[in-house]
Amino acid sequence: MSYVLAEFKDEQVLFAAARRLRELGHLSLDAHSPYPLHGAEEALGLKKSVVPLIGLIGALAGASTGYLMQFWMNGIDFAINVGNRLPHSPPTNIPITFELAVLFSAVSITIGLFALSGFPRTHHPVFEVESFRTATVDALWLSVKVKEEEAPGVEDELRRLGAKDVARVSEDTR
Amino acid sequence: MSVETRELTAAARLELEGPPVLVGRPDDRQVTNALFEPVWQRTRRGWLVLFGISFALTGLLLAAMSYTFAVGVGTWGNNIPVAWAFGIINFVWWIGIGHAGTLISAILLLFQQKWRTSINRFTEAMTLFAVMQAGLFPILHLGRPWFAFWLFPYPSTLGLWPNFKSALIWDVFAVSTYFTVSLLFWYVGLVPDLAALRDASKSKAARIAYGIFALGWRGAASHWRHYRIAYLLLAGLATPLVLSVHTVVSFDFAIAQLPGWHTTIFPPYFVAGAIFSGFAMVLTLVIPARRFFGFHNFITERHLDNMAKVLLVTGMMVSYGYLCEHFIGWYGGNKYEAYVFLNRETGPYAPLYWLMLFCNVVVPQIFWWPKARRKVGLLFVASLLVNVGMWTERFIIIVTSLHRDFLPSSWALYKPTIVDFSLLSGTIGFFGLLFLLFLRFVPSVSASEVKELRRELEHAAHVSGHTAKGTSA
Repeated sequence: MSYVLAEFKDEQVLFAAARRLRELGHLSLDAHSPYPLHGAEEALGLKKSVVPLIGLIGALAGASTGYLMQFWMNGIDFAINVGNRLPHSPPTNIPITFELAVLFSAVSITIGLFALSGFPRTHHPVFEVESFRTATVDALWLSVKVKEEEAPGVEDELRRLGAKDVARVSEDTR
Repeated sequence: MSVETRELTAAARLELEGPPVLVGRPDDRQVTNALFEPVWQRTRRGWLVLFGISFALTGLLLAAMSYTFAVGVGTWGNNIPVAWAFGIINFVWWIGIGHAGTLISAILLLFQQKWRTSINRFTEAMTLFAVMQAGLFPILHLGRPWFAFWLFPYPSTLGLWPNFKSALIWDVFAVSTYFTVSLLFWYVGLVPDLAALRDASKSKAARIAYGIFALGWRGAASHWRHYRIAYLLLAGLATPLVLSVHTVVSFDFAIAQLPGWHTTIFPPYFVAGAIFSGFAMVLTLVIPARRFFGFHNFITERHLDNMAKVLLVTGMMVSYGYLCEHFIGWYGGNKYEAYVFLNRETGPYAPLYWLMLFCNVVVPQIFWWPKARRKVGLLFVASLLVNVGMWTERFIIIVTSLHRDFLPSSWALYKPTIVDFSLLSGTIGFFGLLFLLFLRFVPSVSASEVKELRRELEHAAHVSGHTAKGTSA
């Protein structure tokens, strides 16, 4: 497989090119930009992120861990009698239940983000293209993953669609 | 609409909205160059001097800690009845400072305040480093700090668990969660800039080093879509967290029976005080850094103006807290409670009390005047005074309540020792050390967020330009 990279001046031109390539059947598309582009999800046909769901599951897991931990440790396994109050006292369990919900949720959101993005991956074929280094600084790029033999056709198509600079890199360059 | 009225509205708008959040419209390359310059440039002499001072103070911290470990907390000024003193004062002071960072980075993000963009990374770093200082004190204060892990629930051979009904255990969970979440939020926010540093770097070593921490970020839309929502959710989580942390800290006091501590106003009063002191610390750090690195176009008068307003508002909340405490002390009819406040005003620590009132109640009042809010020197001095005032407030709350409680026969005075002062100044040095390293190796203003902000501002100007044209036609 190869990556065809194309630099665009304008995000609307990039989105139009992405739509055209999807019509032509190239579905492995991605846009690269120094800041999030509004409308990129729609143009590239990306699905909604599942990160909120991961965060919710994390929060529920944290809250139940927090509550059950306190219930079992202080209420059942080693009941501490303080001033003859109930060993299991729900209101005093609220702060730690809340804190663990936040902790588990934040950790799972971060791990989820990294896992969904395939991080850490410090070597990626697109990094072989020196001019692509502007993608995180001041340029907009479109990358298309295509079969080796289709690459020249896609390159021509991208130029026709208004790309400023086009480059190609093979997946097994290294 | 005529041309004249349109100009008038523009002038009125400036009056209402204040100076811009971003001066000029630098393009992405200019933003990158300006914000990354402190990372690429050679180490400057001013930085080295400050680093040397912080390094020396960090050494003092280590010496004071070693001495405390070797001899015990008896080397501190703590006594009975003042069993809590510098250790807890410094803990509350530092953790409170951290809270403004989360307020700016998380709460203002949720409220879509554009002015947070250029200062959020500064303040998040400040949060992280302040919580690190805060965390030291309760551990040192334990008496046997090497058993600090007993605070966590782990299956020990002793077969017992922590008492979860104690606010001190809540503190352990609150502070460690706060640190972890702040770290994740800061690092996630940093990843796009680390990648930009990797890609803008000239040397191979920098490319590899930043490349490792950038985790392979390539600004892909398929990553941004997860990233944006993840960042927003982390902000959403940090918001109630910051309120809960200082609430739990205030419970350490409020659930005790001691006059001066046993009040229901403590949680909101502590949270407001935390944000007040934190904003003061942000100003103390941002004003010199802005000047040193020439970030005037990114951290504009608007930012300083807004922060001064927050100081005014939270200062008023803190003043209300003082007023309310005194009112209840009188109105509640409890003679011990009433005596605590009389003792604060006229007792042995009265000078500190009046210093606190001056710094926290009087000083912020100058910010009613717009000119004062934009005078950098004045703002800097005021921020230092508020820092002092908020430290004094914790001293007043803790020491004056403890040193004269119910029984006059158990009253005693508290005097800090050289070890106490070494620990306090040592943490200030360690905080400064971490902050200087941060300024040196990481862009202190988020480049990717400034680029996004510039685009949003351009878009907004474009849209309003169209509407203006439409109505005038």
